[in-house]
Amino acid sequence: MIVPAHGRHIISAVFQEKRYKMNNAVAKSKDVTLLEILDRVLDKGVVIAGDMVISVADVDLIYLGLKVLLSSVETMEKLRGSPFISPMQEAK
Amino acid sequence: MIANAVVETDSDEEFIEEIEKAQNALPKKINANPKTVEKGLAKLVLTLIELIRKLLEKQAMRRVEAGSLSDEEIERVGETLMKLENKMEELKEIFGLKDEELNLNLGPLGDLL
Amino acid sequence: MKLYLYGIINSSDQIKKSIYGLEGSNVYNIPFCDIGAVVSEIEKPIQDVTEGAVLGHEAVVEKLMANFDVLPARFQTIIDGRDSLLSMMQSYYRDFKGNLERFHNKCEFGIKVIWPADKVKANILKVLKKEEQKILESDNSSSKRFIKKKFEGYKIDIEFEAKADKFIKVMDIFFSRFAAEKKLEKLRTKNLLLDAVYLVEKDRENDFREAFGHIKSGPLGLKYLFSGPWPPYNFVVLSKKPDLLRDSEQADLFGKVTQCQALVGVGSI
Repeated sequence: MIVPAHGRHIISAVFQEKRYKMNNAVAKSKDVTLLEILDRVLDKGVVIAGDMVISVADVDLIYLGLKVLLSSVETMEKLRGSPFISPMQEAK
Repeated sequence: MIANAVVETDSDEEFIEEIEKAQNALPKKINANPKTVEKGLAKLVLTLIELIRKLLEKQAMRRVEAGSLSDEEIERVGETLMKLENKMEELKEIFGLKDEELNLNLGPLGDLL
Repeated sequence: MKLYLYGIINSSDQIKKSIYGLEGSNVYNIPFCDIGAVVSEIEKPIQDVTEGAVLGHEAVVEKLMANFDVLPARFQTIIDGRDSLLSMMQSYYRDFKGNLERFHNKCEFGIKVIWPADKVKANILKVLKKEEQKILESDNSSSKRFIKKKFEGYKIDIEFEAKADKFIKVMDIFFSRFAAEKKLEKLRTKNLLLDAVYLVEKDRENDFREAFGHIKSGPLGLKYLFSGPWPPYNFVVLSKKPDLLRDSEQADLFGKVTQCQALVGVGSI
């Protein structure tokens, strides 16, 4: 029996594909499409509550907007502060 | 797999900017070291104080609009509100908090401020 | 096996054309009575919010929308197994049915409008300055000046909101003619005058687009964004707890549910 981990949790938008940002209309329209999708898919739709749910994208998902989405995983972790760093390590 | 829904606009950049702002795209740390906890409490207290301060201001404005304050009262209210505002600025600076950070998200009810 | 949920559909049939979900997994329908949960199997419960995953999720839901009425699930809804899923379907059956019926043959469109908030406020200020404020007398103390400034800001804000209401009303009159339901959000940011979603019948889509075209080329001169057709993410309404049914309704539903349970091979309640 798996203990459910639902509830408020923070998921960073880690975009694994490094994408070189072209400063043109195509990239911008993809960006705005992605934002519209994120607006719906991360925040709306059917939300199931209950013990059987292991995880669900919750209302206070925090993600970093398109500028940061284009950076690599490592940079992201540095900017945001990895959730797994203990207070001891932080103090260093 | 590609999604099919189409997004049409002549002003991609402006919408990107506003939608990101609306989605409150600020990085927030979630570790629990003592400094952060302290700041968290300060944020909460100051947010509530801001709420009260803004309500007081609004109430004062309504009375000014209705003309129900004497000249002397206007003077006194002005002085009080001014001092309150300055004090809040001080406190914000002490705790290193910006205006945008002083808010509480009440889920389906939206933001407090 | 854990199940990744894409949405609920108004059918207990198997999905005919193959649809591929996250990580290339096979997407299939788990029926419950006359509805079904569309899922794919997944190993790791937590996934990163990657662009690929988000687009993949959306793509599946849109494919479903082509052939069924769909209640789209939120991204990353993961159920811990088939039995749990069926019991979930049982709890939410009435909710799901109700929503599916409301969504029959409809889809969601989004309209966003940007206006130049600072310019609007500057114009309001111009007008305000013309109408002199005789509220404050001659004595020009710092407190009085503070109040004067605050009051100016207060009046500007009120007028700003009133203008926003007016603009939105005009636009909404055009759009809501073709919409079964709508949700409007005013001033989500100061420049994002309107963030609206409309639930429109599929065969009124062209009328709706035309209405948008009118507003876009109209005299308001603002910036517009049109998006869709979307699965109706914004219109899903679920009660928090399973319904408390009246006795007769309960008996009815129980009868139905027991039959369905027998069909799907779940033990008694």
